[in-house]
Amino acid sequence: MTAIPPTLRTERVDARDKVTGAVRYGTDRVPPGLLHAALAVATIAKGRVTSTDTAAAEAVPGVRLVLTRAGEGELASAGFLLGGGYGFQSLQPLMDDRIAYRGQPIAIVVADTPVAATEAAALVTATYETEQVSLDLDAEGVEVVEQAATLPPMFADLVAGDAEGTLADCDVRVEGTYDLPVQHQNPMELIGCVAEWEGDDLVVHEGSQNSGAIRHGLAAQLGIDAERIQVISPYVGGGFGQKNSLQPGTALAAIAARRTGRPVKLVSTRMQVFHNASFRPASRHRVVIGADRDGTMRAAVHEVDQQTSRHDLYPGSYTEITARLYGIPNFRGHQRLVRTDVQTPGYMRAPYEHPAAFAFESTVDDLAHQLGLDPVAMRLANDSTADPITGQPFSSRHVTECLRRGAERFGWERRTHEPGSMRAADGTRIGWGVALGAYKGAAVPAVARITASSDGGLRVEVGGHEMGQGIRTAVARTVALDLGVPAADISVVVGDTRSVPQHLTAGSWGTAGALPAVGAALGELRKALGLAADGPADVAAAVAATGQANVEVEATYTAPGQPPEIVLDRLRRGLPAAGGPVYPGFTAFSFVAHFVEVRIEPVIGRIRVPRVVSVADCGRVASPVTAASQLRGGVVWGIGAALREASEVDPRYGGFLNADLAEYTIPVNADIGDIDVDFIDVPDPLLNDIGVKGLGEVSMVGVAGAIGNAIFHATGKRFRHLPIRLDDLLG
Amino acid sequence: MAVPNQAVPTTVAGSVPAAFQVNDRLVELDLDPRESLLDVLRERLGMTGTKKGCDHGQCGACTVHIDGRRVVSCLTPAVQVRGTTVTTIEGVAGPDRELHPLQQAFIDNDALQCGYCTPGQIMSGLACIAEGHADTDDRAREYLSGNLCRCGAYEGIIAAVRGCSAQGTAEEVSG
Repeated sequence: MTAIPPTLRTERVDARDKVTGAVRYGTDRVPPGLLHAALAVATIAKGRVTSTDTAAAEAVPGVRLVLTRAGEGELASAGFLLGGGYGFQSLQPLMDDRIAYRGQPIAIVVADTPVAATEAAALVTATYETEQVSLDLDAEGVEVVEQAATLPPMFADLVAGDAEGTLADCDVRVEGTYDLPVQHQNPMELIGCVAEWEGDDLVVHEGSQNSGAIRHGLAAQLGIDAERIQVISPYVGGGFGQKNSLQPGTALAAIAARRTGRPVKLVSTRMQVFHNASFRPASRHRVVIGADRDGTMRAAVHEVDQQTSRHDLYPGSYTEITARLYGIPNFRGHQRLVRTDVQTPGYMRAPYEHPAAFAFESTVDDLAHQLGLDPVAMRLANDSTADPITGQPFSSRHVTECLRRGAERFGWERRTHEPGSMRAADGTRIGWGVALGAYKGAAVPAVARITASSDGGLRVEVGGHEMGQGIRTAVARTVALDLGVPAADISVVVGDTRSVPQHLTAGSWGTAGALPAVGAALGELRKALGLAADGPADVAAAVAATGQANVEVEATYTAPGQPPEIVLDRLRRGLPAAGGPVYPGFTAFSFVAHFVEVRIEPVIGRIRVPRVVSVADCGRVASPVTAASQLRGGVVWGIGAALREASEVDPRYGGFLNADLAEYTIPVNADIGDIDVDFIDVPDPLLNDIGVKGLGEVSMVGVAGAIGNAIFHATGKRFRHLPIRLDDLLG
Repeated sequence: MAVPNQAVPTTVAGSVPAAFQVNDRLVELDLDPRESLLDVLRERLGMTGTKKGCDHGQCGACTVHIDGRRVVSCLTPAVQVRGTTVTTIEGVAGPDRELHPLQQAFIDNDALQCGYCTPGQIMSGLACIAEGHADTDDRAREYLSGNLCRCGAYEGIIAAVRGCSAQGTAEEVSG
């Protein structure tokens, strides 16, 4: 489809606006007459508000509104994203007196300035009746739910063959139990919005991965027609799953704006981003692998307990990848949900796959060590061509090439396999580790509209959100290569409900939804303009020849095997409609191999990661510049998850103790060394016409496992929890 | 719930008159002594290139220069900048929107993803070079570690800052 070599560099098309500060994120909007809102939050973990005192808050100069309870019929729940609704959780604050988690909003305060709003919010006090709480997987009073027995079939146990029966016959069995902590996404942009009424119409500016859910969710919450609501989210300052749905503050800002007759801006504090938004739940994994003495893995069991809230069942899909990392013919996955007293947890980059891969790949490493096998060679020998669960072929699978190329780039053949055998002259212990990752090849329905102008301008509107992954660049590059025009001449509109319908952008399906729709629209455009089916085109002349100023075409894409009318209807109602990874006739996954060097300083045991080599199989690389950045970013996330990040649960009062960016330590520049990335870059022949699979999430999957395996190689110590910190090595 | 019964003046009692320079613009405002420079830039001057990521001086997204020195504007009371020159990301490019070499280097090295931390990274990068702290990779990493990037664009950021440092191109906006 291209006359220009695909290796042509297309720089990030919105980079110039980003380096000059010209990009407008949601809460960068400052309309005339703007008022500022702040939230007052519950100081107990569970119970009931018995009274609220707002007098001091109301006395603060500049305060316009203190709202502790929505009026009758003024506010409804938008429902839970995974329960047929739109919200990160079903619980909507300010509807009743119930407190389900520490930090739940008990009032919204609106004032002339941010200072006055902040001061007044701090002056709202309440009295409570408190109840006993259960805050972690082992707490008294938790409720354990068998996922397969409770949720729809898509969340059933994954089973192939007879795992337990085969394990009993295997020469070798290895087993481990792994604890993964609560983590928070912490995008740099705080959750926030600006709500403005224009008569009966509501306009919301908010950084979101899901402007469609905000639109339709607010319609349900406020009891108005979705046609009266527009959500504008052209740029998101990082989402990582936390901005995948309707936030509880948005409706409150809309109500405050309606009551005051002024636009209202609500920006969460960083602490509120920890306490009143989604997070990665704690999970515990038991993995058992059985193998022959030559390292052939014949059976595996992966059992998971994962935290959820009292009010919602956030399902787990941990075993989806561990069933497919290798060709293990006998597999049993099992998942249980543990209800605790928290806000509803949710998606954080590689939500299931990162913890699952850490647990599974650590166990695989144990097996290689126990058998005295090279961990790369053993993985190569266990590669699979067919999906062990369905028996179907993979749409594409280049695990072997990822491992071979990664090993070569890393210099793996120089590794001495005995733990503790590699040291620097100063006594620094060196460890080299490897791990695989996988992520489902998902696809979503999308609508693309292209408007070509007689001046040669091209405007592309498509479902999708720009969180920094580069969707705008991937779309512009696709159109540029197809028509032979400069990417800079193409304007791409995403994240805007005033254009085409907007589906949730997450799960690494953004590109795999948007690009096929854009590709189909390009075909329509060529037909409408009487252009050849491919090759460079003089768009301006072709439009001029029609005698019109503009020619507009539209196309829709739906995933293979999905009933188009059903998923397009869901798309138009702002509901998730993702398909995959199992499609009629094939199963789709992206894959990655990570190679990591750790260095452990001799005296204090500080762990450093000076270099990483990662090779990804994400199908065709749609945008080489942004894809490389995305893969590097995933590695940085893996380093953070392996060595730094955990949200410390307050066992007494609920909530999280390290709820800021000084104490929740994400990687900083000095933590990161050389990250060498490469791509297989072979188009997937089945998932879509463009040949793309997902990349954003798989890039993180397995990094923490590779680091844990490298630490084992350096020290001989196996750590079955994350993060792995100084005190672990001193112990 | 209550609605105050009369309009509240836009400045509170105890406000302080202040004049200072922001890029090429002279600003005169009455300031609440509690207002941060960050909120004044964003909410009162509409200069939203400077970002709020934590409001606690922990992330660096709000970094600006005061008389050439980098500060986190969220922890800087606006009244403190009276009589100074504040440089923000909007003041880094040339008068004809010509990019500063460090801005161009950020593009060339794809030293950003979502872009939210980028204005702060560039303001810190300019200062880091001017301070002489960008002479080695390790030192630059250390002196840029107050600026968090959740997307993980650190390698590109170091490449951009180090490349510019080698060319000696940072001085012009830092004075």
